[in-house]
Amino acid sequence: MSQQLPKVLESVFREIPNLVFEQQGPRRLRVKLRSDALPALLELLKGRAGYLHLSAISCVDWPTLDEFELVYHLWSYEVKNLVSAHIYIPKTPGRYISVYDIYTPAAFFERDIHEMFGVYFEGCPDLEPFILTEWYGPPPMLKSFSTLDYVKETYKWQDYSPEWLKEIEAKGGGIVE
Amino acid sequence: MIATNTIPVSSEPNTDISCRTIDPQERSMLRKVIDRIADRCRSRSLFILHYCTGCGAIELPPTITSRFDAERLGIQPMVTPRQADILLITGYLSVKTLKRVILSYEQMQAPKYVIGMGSCTINGGMYWHSYATIKRLQEYMPVDMYMAGCMPRPEAILEGFLQLIDNIDKGKATAWQEYYRNYDHYLGNQQALFGPDWHTPTDVIAEARHYKQFADNTIGEHTELLAKFASKYVTQPIPKKILTREEAAR
Repeated sequence: MSQQLPKVLESVFREIPNLVFEQQGPRRLRVKLRSDALPALLELLKGRAGYLHLSAISCVDWPTLDEFELVYHLWSYEVKNLVSAHIYIPKTPGRYISVYDIYTPAAFFERDIHEMFGVYFEGCPDLEPFILTEWYGPPPMLKSFSTLDYVKETYKWQDYSPEWLKEIEAKGGGIVE
Repeated sequence: MIATNTIPVSSEPNTDISCRTIDPQERSMLRKVIDRIADRCRSRSLFILHYCTGCGAIELPPTITSRFDAERLGIQPMVTPRQADILLITGYLSVKTLKRVILSYEQMQAPKYVIGMGSCTINGGMYWHSYATIKRLQEYMPVDMYMAGCMPRPEAILEGFLQLIDNIDKGKATAWQEYYRNYDHYLGNQQALFGPDWHTPTDVIAEARHYKQFADNTIGEHTELLAKFASKYVTQPIPKKILTREEAAR
Protein backbone atom coordinates (compact mmCIF):
# COMPACT_ATOMS: atom_id res chain seq x y z
CA MET A 1 0.00 0.00 0.00
CA SER A 2 2.66 2.48 0.89
CA GLN A 3 5.60 1.33 -1.18
CA GLN A 4 6.21 4.64 -3.02
CA LEU A 5 5.04 6.83 -0.14
CA PRO A 6 7.67 9.47 0.65
CA LYS A 7 9.12 9.15 4.13
CA VAL A 8 8.07 12.64 5.21
CA LEU A 9 4.47 11.82 4.39
CA GLU A 10 4.61 8.60 6.32
CA SER A 11 5.65 10.38 9.49
CA VAL A 12 2.95 13.02 8.97
CA PHE A 13 0.18 10.51 8.38
CA ARG A 14 1.15 8.54 11.47
CA GLU A 15 0.37 11.55 13.64
CA ILE A 16 -3.23 11.95 12.46
CA PRO A 17 -5.71 9.47 13.94
CA ASN A 18 -8.33 7.76 11.75
CA LEU A 19 -6.55 8.70 8.55
CA VAL A 20 -7.05 6.51 5.48
CA PHE A 21 -5.00 7.05 2.36
CA GLU A 22 -4.94 5.51 -1.04
CA GLN A 23 -2.35 5.75 -3.81
CA GLN A 24 -4.31 6.72 -6.92
CA GLY A 25 -1.41 7.09 -9.28
CA PRO A 26 2.31 7.78 -9.30
CA ARG A 27 1.71 11.40 -8.28
CA ARG A 28 -1.72 11.33 -6.65
CA LEU A 29 -2.62 10.48 -3.11
CA ARG A 30 -6.19 10.41 -1.82
CA VAL A 31 -6.47 11.01 1.91
CA LYS A 32 -9.65 10.68 3.95
CA LEU A 33 -9.77 11.96 7.49
CA ARG A 34 -12.04 13.37 10.18
CA SER A 35 -12.98 17.00 9.64
CA ASP A 36 -11.58 18.24 12.96
CA ALA A 37 -8.14 16.82 12.10
CA LEU A 38 -7.77 18.67 8.80
CA PRO A 39 -6.09 21.89 10.07
CA ALA A 40 -3.52 19.73 11.90
CA LEU A 41 -2.85 17.76 8.73
CA LEU A 42 -2.41 20.92 6.65
CA GLU A 43 -0.11 22.41 9.27
CA LEU A 44 2.03 19.29 9.28
CA LEU A 45 2.06 18.96 5.51
CA LYS A 46 3.14 22.55 5.08
CA GLY A 47 5.61 22.68 7.93
CA ARG A 48 7.19 19.27 7.78
CA ALA A 49 6.61 17.81 4.32
CA GLY A 50 6.99 20.90 2.13
CA TYR A 51 3.50 20.98 0.65
CA LEU A 52 3.56 24.70 0.02
CA HIS A 53 0.89 25.01 -2.61
CA LEU A 54 -2.82 24.76 -1.86
CA SER A 55 -3.95 24.54 -5.46
CA ALA A 56 -7.69 24.33 -4.85
CA ILE A 57 -10.48 23.57 -2.44
CA SER A 58 -13.40 21.78 -4.03
CA CYS A 59 -16.82 21.18 -2.59
CA VAL A 60 -19.18 18.36 -3.54
CA ASP A 61 -22.85 18.37 -2.69
CA TRP A 62 -23.85 14.71 -2.65
CA PRO A 63 -27.62 14.57 -3.13
CA THR A 64 -27.95 11.27 -1.24
CA LEU A 65 -25.80 12.27 1.72
CA ASP A 66 -26.49 14.79 4.44
CA GLU A 67 -22.95 16.09 4.19
CA PHE A 68 -20.80 18.30 2.01
CA GLU A 69 -17.53 16.83 0.87
CA LEU A 70 -14.62 19.28 0.96
CA VAL A 71 -11.46 18.37 -0.90
CA TYR A 72 -8.19 20.22 -0.24
CA HIS A 73 -5.66 19.75 -3.04
CA LEU A 74 -2.05 20.23 -1.94
CA TRP A 75 0.96 20.11 -4.19
CA SER A 76 4.59 19.66 -3.23
CA TYR A 77 7.26 21.09 -5.51
CA GLU A 78 9.89 18.93 -3.81
CA VAL A 79 8.45 15.43 -4.05
CA LYS A 80 6.15 16.44 -6.93
CA ASN A 81 3.11 14.82 -5.43
CA LEU A 82 -0.54 15.87 -5.06
CA VAL A 83 -2.35 15.12 -1.82
CA SER A 84 -6.13 15.41 -1.92
CA ALA A 85 -7.54 15.55 1.59
CA HIS A 86 -11.23 14.62 1.72
CA ILE A 87 -13.41 15.59 4.68
CA TYR A 88 -17.15 15.55 5.24
CA ILE A 89 -19.04 18.28 7.07
CA PRO A 90 -22.76 18.22 7.90
CA LYS A 91 -25.02 20.26 5.60
CA THR A 92 -26.72 21.88 8.55
CA PRO A 93 -25.46 24.23 9.78
CA GLY A 94 -22.81 24.01 7.06
CA ARG A 95 -19.99 25.66 8.98
CA TYR A 96 -16.31 24.89 8.93
CA ILE A 97 -13.02 26.48 9.98
CA SER A 98 -11.10 28.62 7.57
CA VAL A 99 -7.54 27.52 6.81
CA TYR A 100 -6.62 31.06 5.79
CA ASP A 101 -4.05 31.25 8.59
CA ILE A 102 -2.17 28.26 7.16
CA TYR A 103 -2.62 28.86 3.42
CA THR A 104 -3.46 32.47 2.44
CA PRO A 105 -4.96 31.53 -0.96
CA ALA A 106 -7.60 29.55 0.89
CA ALA A 107 -9.51 32.78 1.51
CA PHE A 108 -10.34 33.02 -2.16
CA PHE A 109 -11.44 29.40 -2.53
CA GLU A 110 -13.54 29.60 0.62
CA ARG A 111 -15.21 32.73 -0.63
CA ASP A 112 -16.10 30.91 -3.83
CA ILE A 113 -17.49 27.89 -1.97
CA HIS A 114 -19.48 30.14 0.34
CA GLU A 115 -20.99 31.81 -2.68
CA MET A 116 -21.81 28.65 -4.61
CA PHE A 117 -22.71 26.23 -1.80
CA GLY A 118 -23.47 28.44 1.17
CA VAL A 119 -20.84 26.89 3.43
CA TYR A 120 -19.73 29.37 6.07
CA PHE A 121 -16.01 29.41 6.90
CA GLU A 122 -15.18 30.78 10.31
CA GLY A 123 -12.18 33.08 10.23
CA CYS A 124 -12.24 33.72 6.51
CA PRO A 125 -11.36 37.41 5.96
CA ASP A 126 -13.87 38.07 3.17
CA LEU A 127 -17.02 36.15 2.29
CA GLU A 128 -18.61 38.81 0.11
CA PRO A 129 -20.19 37.75 -3.22
CA PHE A 130 -17.58 37.57 -5.94
CA ILE A 131 -19.11 36.40 -9.22
CA LEU A 132 -22.79 36.43 -8.31
CA THR A 133 -23.09 40.11 -7.50
CA GLU A 134 -26.54 40.32 -9.12
CA TRP A 135 -27.82 37.19 -7.47
CA TYR A 136 -30.65 37.09 -4.96
CA GLY A 137 -31.48 33.39 -5.07
CA PRO A 138 -30.12 30.42 -3.12
CA PRO A 139 -26.55 29.19 -3.68
CA PRO A 140 -26.85 27.96 -7.26
CA MET A 141 -24.50 24.96 -7.15
CA LEU A 142 -26.57 23.14 -4.56
CA LYS A 143 -28.24 20.02 -5.89
CA SER A 144 -31.48 21.11 -4.23
CA PHE A 145 -31.52 24.23 -6.42
CA SER A 146 -33.44 23.51 -9.61
CA THR A 147 -31.99 25.61 -12.40
CA LEU A 148 -34.86 24.87 -14.73
CA ASP A 149 -37.51 25.94 -12.22
CA TYR A 150 -35.59 29.15 -11.56
CA VAL A 151 -35.35 29.86 -15.29
CA LYS A 152 -39.04 29.17 -15.78
CA GLU A 153 -40.10 31.65 -13.14
CA THR A 154 -37.47 34.31 -13.89
CA TYR A 155 -37.34 34.47 -17.67
CA LYS A 156 -39.88 34.21 -20.44
CA TRP A 157 -39.39 31.93 -23.39
CA GLN A 158 -39.10 33.29 -26.88
CA ASP A 159 -42.21 33.04 -29.03
CA TYR A 160 -41.88 30.51 -31.78
CA SER A 161 -43.22 31.73 -35.09
CA PRO A 162 -42.75 29.42 -38.05
CA GLU A 163 -43.78 32.33 -40.30
CA TRP A 164 -40.23 33.61 -40.07
CA LEU A 165 -39.01 30.44 -41.68
CA LYS A 166 -41.58 30.78 -44.46
CA GLU A 167 -40.36 34.31 -45.13
CA ILE A 168 -36.78 33.10 -45.30
CA GLU A 169 -37.75 30.20 -47.56
CA ALA A 170 -39.57 32.57 -49.88
CA LYS A 171 -36.27 34.39 -50.34
CA GLY A 172 -34.48 31.16 -51.21
CA GLY A 173 -33.03 30.37 -47.79
CA GLY A 174 -34.07 27.85 -45.17
CA ILE A 175 -32.86 24.97 -43.09
CA VAL A 176 -29.97 23.00 -44.55
CA GLU A 177 -30.61 19.26 -44.49
CA MET B 1 -37.55 84.27 -11.44
CA ILE B 2 -36.32 83.32 -14.89
CA ALA B 3 -33.89 80.46 -15.08
CA THR B 4 -30.72 81.59 -16.85
CA ASN B 5 -29.90 78.27 -18.45
CA THR B 6 -33.16 77.91 -20.35
CA ILE B 7 -32.58 77.01 -23.98
CA PRO B 8 -34.67 79.40 -26.11
CA VAL B 9 -36.38 76.66 -28.09
CA SER B 10 -39.93 75.76 -27.34
CA SER B 11 -40.67 72.09 -26.96
CA GLU B 12 -44.21 72.67 -28.19
CA PRO B 13 -44.55 70.50 -31.26
CA ASN B 14 -45.85 73.12 -33.68
CA THR B 15 -43.98 76.31 -32.87
CA ASP B 16 -40.43 77.53 -33.26
CA ILE B 17 -38.42 80.43 -31.91
CA SER B 18 -39.98 82.98 -34.24
CA CYS B 19 -43.38 82.01 -32.86
CA ARG B 20 -44.76 81.35 -36.30
CA THR B 21 -47.25 78.52 -36.14
CA ILE B 22 -46.01 75.80 -38.43
CA ASP B 23 -48.38 73.73 -40.41
CA PRO B 24 -47.91 70.16 -39.09
CA GLN B 25 -48.25 68.78 -42.61
CA GLU B 26 -45.55 71.08 -43.95
CA ARG B 27 -43.23 70.25 -41.11
CA SER B 28 -43.65 66.52 -41.42
CA MET B 29 -43.06 66.63 -45.19
CA LEU B 30 -39.81 68.55 -44.79
CA ARG B 31 -38.81 66.24 -42.02
CA LYS B 32 -39.46 63.19 -44.13
CA VAL B 33 -37.25 64.46 -46.92
CA ILE B 34 -34.42 65.35 -44.55
CA ASP B 35 -34.73 62.07 -42.71
CA ARG B 36 -34.70 60.19 -46.00
CA ILE B 37 -31.44 61.87 -47.05
CA ALA B 38 -29.94 61.43 -43.61
CA ASP B 39 -30.90 57.76 -43.47
CA ARG B 40 -29.38 57.18 -46.88
CA CYS B 41 -26.08 58.72 -45.81
CA ARG B 42 -26.19 57.03 -42.44
CA SER B 43 -26.65 53.55 -43.88
CA ARG B 44 -23.41 53.94 -45.88
CA SER B 45 -21.23 54.48 -42.84
CA LEU B 46 -21.98 52.36 -39.81
CA PHE B 47 -19.64 51.84 -36.90
CA ILE B 48 -19.97 48.73 -34.76
CA LEU B 49 -19.26 49.15 -31.09
CA HIS B 50 -16.21 47.03 -30.36
CA TYR B 51 -17.87 45.21 -27.51
CA CYS B 52 -18.10 41.46 -27.58
CA THR B 53 -20.03 39.12 -25.36
CA GLY B 54 -19.87 35.37 -25.53
CA CYS B 55 -18.25 33.27 -28.22
CA GLY B 56 -19.74 34.94 -31.30
CA ALA B 57 -16.98 37.51 -31.33
CA ILE B 58 -14.74 34.92 -32.96
CA GLU B 59 -16.67 35.34 -36.21
CA LEU B 60 -16.05 39.08 -36.29
CA PRO B 61 -12.30 39.15 -37.12
CA PRO B 62 -12.81 37.33 -40.45
CA THR B 63 -15.86 39.50 -41.14
CA ILE B 64 -13.98 42.72 -40.60
CA THR B 65 -10.56 41.81 -41.95
CA SER B 66 -9.46 41.25 -45.53
CA ARG B 67 -11.20 37.98 -46.35
CA PHE B 68 -14.81 39.19 -46.10
CA ASP B 69 -13.98 42.86 -45.52
CA ALA B 70 -17.06 44.45 -44.00
CA GLU B 71 -15.60 47.86 -44.73
CA ARG B 72 -16.82 47.40 -48.30
CA LEU B 73 -20.22 48.09 -46.79
CA GLY B 74 -18.88 50.99 -44.75
CA ILE B 75 -18.95 48.98 -41.54
CA GLN B 76 -16.01 49.06 -39.19
CA PRO B 77 -15.40 48.69 -35.49
CA MET B 78 -15.38 51.68 -33.19
CA VAL B 79 -13.99 51.69 -29.69
CA THR B 80 -16.31 54.10 -27.91
CA PRO B 81 -20.08 53.79 -27.54
CA ARG B 82 -20.65 57.48 -28.18
CA GLN B 83 -19.34 57.25 -31.73
CA ALA B 84 -20.85 53.87 -32.55
CA ASP B 85 -24.06 53.13 -34.44
CA ILE B 86 -24.46 49.38 -34.10
CA LEU B 87 -24.40 47.42 -30.88
CA LEU B 88 -23.68 43.83 -31.77
CA ILE B 89 -24.57 41.33 -29.06
CA THR B 90 -22.40 38.42 -30.06
CA GLY B 91 -23.62 35.42 -28.15
CA TYR B 92 -24.85 34.55 -24.70
CA LEU B 93 -25.58 37.40 -22.36
CA SER B 94 -25.25 36.81 -18.66
CA VAL B 95 -27.16 38.98 -16.24
CA LYS B 96 -23.97 40.73 -15.19
CA THR B 97 -22.96 41.45 -18.77
CA LEU B 98 -26.46 42.68 -19.55
CA LYS B 99 -25.94 45.47 -17.03
CA ARG B 100 -22.84 46.63 -18.89
CA VAL B 101 -24.57 46.25 -22.24
CA ILE B 102 -27.43 48.47 -21.11
CA LEU B 103 -24.95 51.07 -19.84
CA SER B 104 -23.18 51.01 -23.21
CA TYR B 105 -26.43 51.08 -25.14
CA GLU B 106 -27.74 54.09 -23.30
CA GLN B 107 -24.51 55.99 -23.93
CA MET B 108 -24.79 55.51 -27.67
CA GLN B 109 -26.18 58.42 -29.66
CA ALA B 110 -29.45 57.89 -31.45
CA PRO B 111 -30.12 56.56 -34.00
CA LYS B 112 -28.61 53.33 -32.80
CA TYR B 113 -29.17 49.81 -33.94
CA VAL B 114 -29.01 46.59 -31.95
CA ILE B 115 -28.27 43.27 -33.59
CA GLY B 116 -28.71 40.07 -31.62
CA MET B 117 -26.22 37.66 -33.11
CA GLY B 118 -26.38 33.94 -32.48
CA SER B 119 -29.03 31.68 -31.04
CA CYS B 120 -28.27 32.62 -27.45
CA THR B 121 -29.67 36.12 -27.77
CA ILE B 122 -32.83 34.76 -29.42
CA ASN B 123 -33.95 32.05 -27.01
CA GLY B 124 -30.98 31.27 -24.78
CA GLY B 125 -29.48 28.81 -27.26
CA MET B 126 -27.52 26.05 -25.59
CA TYR B 127 -27.75 27.99 -22.30
CA TRP B 128 -31.55 27.76 -22.29
CA HIS B 129 -31.69 26.33 -18.77
CA SER B 130 -28.87 28.38 -17.27
CA TYR B 131 -29.81 30.55 -14.32
CA ALA B 132 -27.21 33.17 -15.22
CA THR B 133 -28.03 34.03 -18.83
CA ILE B 134 -31.00 35.93 -20.21
CA LYS B 135 -33.25 34.24 -22.75
CA ARG B 136 -34.76 37.05 -24.79
CA LEU B 137 -32.74 40.14 -25.56
CA GLN B 138 -35.71 42.16 -26.76
CA GLU B 139 -37.13 42.34 -23.26
CA TYR B 140 -34.31 44.59 -22.09
CA MET B 141 -33.60 46.70 -25.16
CA PRO B 142 -35.24 47.01 -28.56
CA VAL B 143 -33.59 44.79 -31.14
CA ASP B 144 -33.49 45.66 -34.83
CA MET B 145 -32.46 42.29 -36.08
CA TYR B 146 -31.57 38.82 -34.96
CA MET B 147 -29.06 36.62 -36.75
CA ALA B 148 -29.74 32.98 -36.05
CA GLY B 149 -26.97 30.42 -35.94
CA CYS B 150 -24.53 28.95 -33.48
CA MET B 151 -22.44 30.76 -34.62
CA PRO B 152 -23.57 32.54 -37.80
CA ARG B 153 -20.85 32.36 -40.44
CA PRO B 154 -19.32 35.61 -41.74
CA GLU B 155 -21.48 35.22 -44.86
CA ALA B 156 -24.58 35.24 -42.68
CA ILE B 157 -23.30 38.25 -40.76
CA LEU B 158 -22.68 40.16 -43.98
CA GLU B 159 -26.15 39.17 -45.18
CA GLY B 160 -27.54 40.57 -41.94
CA PHE B 161 -25.55 43.77 -42.30
CA LEU B 162 -26.87 44.21 -45.83
CA GLN B 163 -30.40 43.70 -44.57
CA LEU B 164 -29.81 46.27 -41.80
CA ILE B 165 -28.40 48.76 -44.31
CA ASP B 166 -31.46 48.20 -46.45
CA ASN B 167 -33.76 48.72 -43.46
CA ILE B 168 -31.99 51.94 -42.45
CA ASP B 169 -32.09 53.16 -46.02
CA LYS B 170 -35.84 52.62 -46.15
CA GLY B 171 -36.34 54.16 -42.73
CA LYS B 172 -37.55 50.90 -41.20
CA ALA B 173 -34.82 50.46 -38.59
CA THR B 174 -36.55 52.50 -35.91
CA ALA B 175 -36.22 50.17 -32.94
CA TRP B 176 -34.20 52.77 -31.00
CA GLN B 177 -37.31 54.95 -30.80
CA GLU B 178 -39.07 52.12 -29.01
CA TYR B 179 -36.65 52.42 -26.11
CA TYR B 180 -37.66 56.02 -25.53
CA ARG B 181 -41.35 55.44 -26.15
CA ASN B 182 -41.58 52.35 -23.94
CA TYR B 183 -38.82 53.15 -21.48
CA ASP B 184 -41.05 52.22 -18.56
CA HIS B 185 -41.56 48.73 -19.97
CA TYR B 186 -37.86 48.10 -20.61
CA LEU B 187 -36.88 49.57 -17.25
CA GLY B 188 -39.43 47.32 -15.57
CA ASN B 189 -37.88 44.24 -17.14
CA GLN B 190 -34.43 45.43 -16.09
CA GLN B 191 -35.59 46.06 -12.55
CA ALA B 192 -37.07 42.56 -12.40
CA LEU B 193 -33.53 41.24 -12.87
CA PHE B 194 -31.37 43.81 -11.10
CA GLY B 195 -33.67 44.81 -8.29
CA PRO B 196 -35.61 48.05 -7.62
CA ASP B 197 -32.41 50.06 -7.06
CA TRP B 198 -31.28 49.69 -10.66
CA HIS B 199 -30.50 53.00 -12.36
CA THR B 200 -28.09 54.24 -15.00
CA PRO B 201 -26.26 57.55 -15.22
CA THR B 202 -27.99 58.29 -18.52
CA ASP B 203 -31.05 60.50 -18.28
CA VAL B 204 -33.21 58.55 -20.69
CA ILE B 205 -36.38 60.53 -19.98
CA ALA B 206 -34.66 63.81 -20.90
CA GLU B 207 -33.21 62.14 -23.99
CA ALA B 208 -36.65 60.99 -24.99
CA ARG B 209 -37.79 64.62 -24.91
CA HIS B 210 -34.70 65.70 -26.80
CA TYR B 211 -35.37 63.21 -29.59
CA LYS B 212 -39.08 64.06 -29.48
CA GLN B 213 -39.93 60.47 -28.65
CA PHE B 214 -41.65 61.19 -25.36
CA ALA B 215 -44.77 59.04 -25.27
CA ASP B 216 -47.30 57.69 -22.82
CA ASN B 217 -45.16 54.75 -21.82
CA THR B 218 -41.92 56.67 -21.37
CA ILE B 219 -42.76 57.22 -17.72
CA GLY B 220 -44.79 55.02 -15.46
CA GLU B 221 -44.66 53.03 -12.27
CA HIS B 222 -41.14 51.77 -12.91
CA THR B 223 -39.59 55.14 -13.69
CA GLU B 224 -41.10 56.49 -10.48
CA LEU B 225 -38.58 54.36 -8.61
CA LEU B 226 -35.82 56.44 -10.22
CA ALA B 227 -36.94 59.51 -8.26
CA LYS B 228 -34.62 58.82 -5.34
CA PHE B 229 -31.60 58.84 -7.68
CA ALA B 230 -32.54 62.09 -9.41
CA SER B 231 -30.17 65.01 -8.94
CA LYS B 232 -29.74 68.46 -10.37
CA TYR B 233 -28.14 66.84 -13.41
CA VAL B 234 -30.75 64.16 -13.89
CA THR B 235 -34.41 64.76 -14.62
CA GLN B 236 -36.76 64.34 -11.77
CA PRO B 237 -39.17 61.68 -13.03
CA ILE B 238 -42.68 63.02 -13.18
CA PRO B 239 -45.47 60.94 -11.66
CA LYS B 240 -47.62 59.80 -14.52
CA LYS B 241 -51.02 59.95 -12.86
CA ILE B 242 -50.97 63.64 -12.05
CA LEU B 243 -49.77 65.10 -15.36
CA THR B 244 -51.14 64.55 -18.81
CA ARG B 245 -48.88 63.80 -21.73
CA GLU B 246 -48.81 67.39 -23.00
CA GLU B 247 -47.90 68.72 -19.60
CA ALA B 248 -45.28 66.08 -19.06
CA ALA B 249 -43.66 66.76 -22.44
CA ARG B 250 -43.07 70.32 -21.30
